Amino acid sequence: MRKHRFSRVSPTAGLAALLFVMAAMWYAAASQNNAAAYLLLFCLTSVFLISIPHTLLNLAGLKASAESVKPTFAGDEVSLPVEIVNESRATRSAIALTLPDSGSPREQVDHIPAGKAARVTLRFSAPRRGEHPIGRLCLTTIYPLGFLRTSKHITAPQRYLVYPKPAGDPNLPKARTRARQNKSSQQLGEGDDFAGVRAYVSGESQRHIDWKAVARGQALMTKQFSAEADGLLYLDFAAVPFSDLEERLSQLVLWVIEAERARVSYGLRLPAVEIAPSLGHSHFHHCLRALALFK
Amino acid sequence: MFGGLAPWIPILFLITLAAKFWMEPRGYRLRSVLFKVVLAAVTLGAIFFSYGSVKGIEPGVSLIVVLMSLKILEAHTAREFQVMVIFGWVLCLCGFFLSQDLAVALCLLVAFSLLLVALIQFHRGSSPGAFWSPLRLAGKLLGQALPLVVLLFLLFPRLPAGFRFQIMQPSSGTAGFSDRLSPGSIATLANSSQVAFRVEFPDGRIPSPAAMYWHGVVLSHGEGFEWRAPDSPASIYPATIPLSGDEGIRQWITIEPHGGHWMFALDWPSSPPAGASLAPGDCLWSREPIRKPRRYEVKSSLAISRKELSSRERRMLLEVPAWLSPAVRELVQSWTSSSANPAAVVNSALQFFRSGGFQYSLSPGPYKERDLDEFLFHRRLGFCEHYASSFATLMRLAGIPARVVVGYLGGEYNEFGRFFLVRQSDTHAWCEVWLPDKGWQRVDPTSVVAPERVNLGLDSFLARRAIANRTSNTFARNLAQRPIFTKLRLAWDSINYAWDTRVLSFDAEAQQSFVAEIGISVASPFSLFMRILIIAGGLLAIYGGWMRFRSRSRADRVKALYQRFCRKAARLGAERQPWEGPLDFAMRAADLVPDQSKRIRNISNTYIALRYSREPTPSLLDTFVKGVNAFTFATRGRRK
Repeated sequence: MRKHRFSRVSPTAGLAALLFVMAAMWYAAASQNNAAAYLLLFCLTSVFLISIPHTLLNLAGLKASAESVKPTFAGDEVSLPVEIVNESRATRSAIALTLPDSGSPREQVDHIPAGKAARVTLRFSAPRRGEHPIGRLCLTTIYPLGFLRTSKHITAPQRYLVYPKPAGDPNLPKARTRARQNKSSQQLGEGDDFAGVRAYVSGESQRHIDWKAVARGQALMTKQFSAEADGLLYLDFAAVPFSDLEERLSQLVLWVIEAERARVSYGLRLPAVEIAPSLGHSHFHHCLRALALFK
Repeated sequence: MFGGLAPWIPILFLITLAAKFWMEPRGYRLRSVLFKVVLAAVTLGAIFFSYGSVKGIEPGVSLIVVLMSLKILEAHTAREFQVMVIFGWVLCLCGFFLSQDLAVALCLLVAFSLLLVALIQFHRGSSPGAFWSPLRLAGKLLGQALPLVVLLFLLFPRLPAGFRFQIMQPSSGTAGFSDRLSPGSIATLANSSQVAFRVEFPDGRIPSPAAMYWHGVVLSHGEGFEWRAPDSPASIYPATIPLSGDEGIRQWITIEPHGGHWMFALDWPSSPPAGASLAPGDCLWSREPIRKPRRYEVKSSLAISRKELSSRERRMLLEVPAWLSPAVRELVQSWTSSSANPAAVVNSALQFFRSGGFQYSLSPGPYKERDLDEFLFHRRLGFCEHYASSFATLMRLAGIPARVVVGYLGGEYNEFGRFFLVRQSDTHAWCEVWLPDKGWQRVDPTSVVAPERVNLGLDSFLARRAIANRTSNTFARNLAQRPIFTKLRLAWDSINYAWDTRVLSFDAEAQQSFVAEIGISVASPFSLFMRILIIAGGLLAIYGGWMRFRSRSRADRVKALYQRFCRKAARLGAERQPWEGPLDFAMRAADLVPDQSKRIRNISNTYIALRYSREPTPSLLDTFVKGVNAFTFATRGRRK
């Protein structure tokens, strides 16, 4: 369940300037005993006071909910789609959305009509590998005058996954002989004969993207070509020639990507987990997930 | 509009604005710190060079305008924009230090609002409706702020006089006459339509405009055409005039700032208003220079009650310049020899002006200080100042104490505001002579030369003459005198009057009397302040609640009502389980509370329609509200 806390009000830097100017105006008006100047000062004060409920209520009836986040590699950009629904009967303007726990840049929604929703994508660089909570979504607004800031925190329950950063030697280790048992099976990957398309996996080479499909407005797809498989491949944690844990994981990730791209059936062997050799989208992510969550 | 600002300052502002519009789309920005510093130094130097100092209002305002211009050139970020808007509001304030005219005030109000619109639009970003939507919101803010403005204006504690530091006043623009009269000094005012003051007669006793001689400065030192007020007026003699009962005419006068000390009243003022004294010569003398519109009450009596003249005064009031020609002395001699009675001498002098072929003219040609002969015997063409000063000189020569009074004559009645408006063009000079048995008597030699001037007022007099001579643009003049324009002008005048009397002259004293009048028995500014805070807080809370109510989503309300219904049902023994949909619950509850089964089913059906249909009709909500209310009412006090 999302938890809606009360809105909080805080002054902006502009308020300090405004207060200073109002004090100066008061001094000038009082010392000159200038009623017209007083009138202007009172106009300014009253407009500022009246803007307080406007700013406070500019978040009323707004609900923000994070949508599911696609896993990314550490160091890449996480894009978090957030939907802001305006359940009130008034138009809401100039709403900024930030993610205070992840340090994302603020995204501004200029206009949400009554009863409508707006979609914002927050982008921030992925932290360490692993599973992270999204944490709090922060809606802020300084509308209409910019002298006060109202903010509302909404805790989003979702988590997002960050795979280790692929790094190391791109050349796959030699396939084991015992993997050559089912030689008859055809493997998809980089071969000569076109064998269909599948969803593009981020990190893959862009050479085989089906750009024509993209031009038609479809999602990114990778063209696949059939080739004779060389055999089965076990990517073994223990066999990685690095001592550092993160480096080993990075190497494994890179190999997983390369193997998937080369359409070489691969398995993963970690100290606690073993994933049988296979190929394909779900297998690919299964392996990466295991690497991301490796303890 | 720009008051006394040096002309290059608004031009600089416009140039920087244009430059910014040119630079911004091209991505040019002012980055060099050195260039900025040099620019600032050059403009500051130019200000110093233009005004000769940096003290005073005009250099101060110029400084702000220049700084703002430079800021425009430099500004780029969101915060800088906000700073500029605040700067703009400060400039509005500066405008009020240059002028508090209603027209100026309206312009400044528009500027203030447009700055608000700009600020709102800036925060709105790319929202649709780039002009009307922020304008509407700004209007809404201003409209909602209006009660607060009135509240603050009336109750915000004003500081009484005493806390003062005087910024040097704008040197230009002080209108009106001075305490000297020289040939042509009044004629220059005759074309000025500036307002001198406005008068109300609260008791309804209104003299005819031809008898409205507004006493101003009394000039008792004369040298032919050059007359001036006594140097140190207060020291000459005390003016003690006992109030002669209740027969005076009460006037409420709102005077426009003229920078001098004199104040006006019908002749002769008998009781000075607060902050002023009755100076010798029976004129009002303000203790402080009049630099902002001021409203005062004064009473005038038709006759002056002082019946004696000290010998010292008499000597002073009989002084004549030694250079008077024999012809003049001969003329006076001819009057005094025929009758020793001063009243008769006055009459023969008036007769001389009436029948001597004298003409009234705004442009009689130049006269020098000693050109009395030229005026009396040759040219015989003059303006009121010539008549007044020559008449007074002649009277003194005849042994009758006389003095020249400069003030205003007449006034234009404004039927909307029920007041008389006196303009600078109504400036007039006349004489007062001392008759032994009657005391001071007003004598206006101009009235015998040009009676229409007195009866019609100078404007109409000049207009008539212009039509007769066909010298001026008659079409424009006729157009301007169409009733609709006259009405408009009068209406504008009365708004101006209200602005002056209700707004501009509302100071600490006026506030105190107002507060006492509405019955708030507080003396300390602090408690006044607390009251404002409470009232303002209440107002804001009401606004906030109202806005919240207006914008609260319908879905929320439906949900809240349904929850109320569920709570009520639970008290009757039918508790809704979390997994139960409204339909299932309604069936179960109807079984559990059989006597309310119809209501329960109705409420549930309406709820489902409201929650899940695509476009629920507005009347459905009413039905729902009524249903839930009826249910709670019918089952009130019941428990399982």
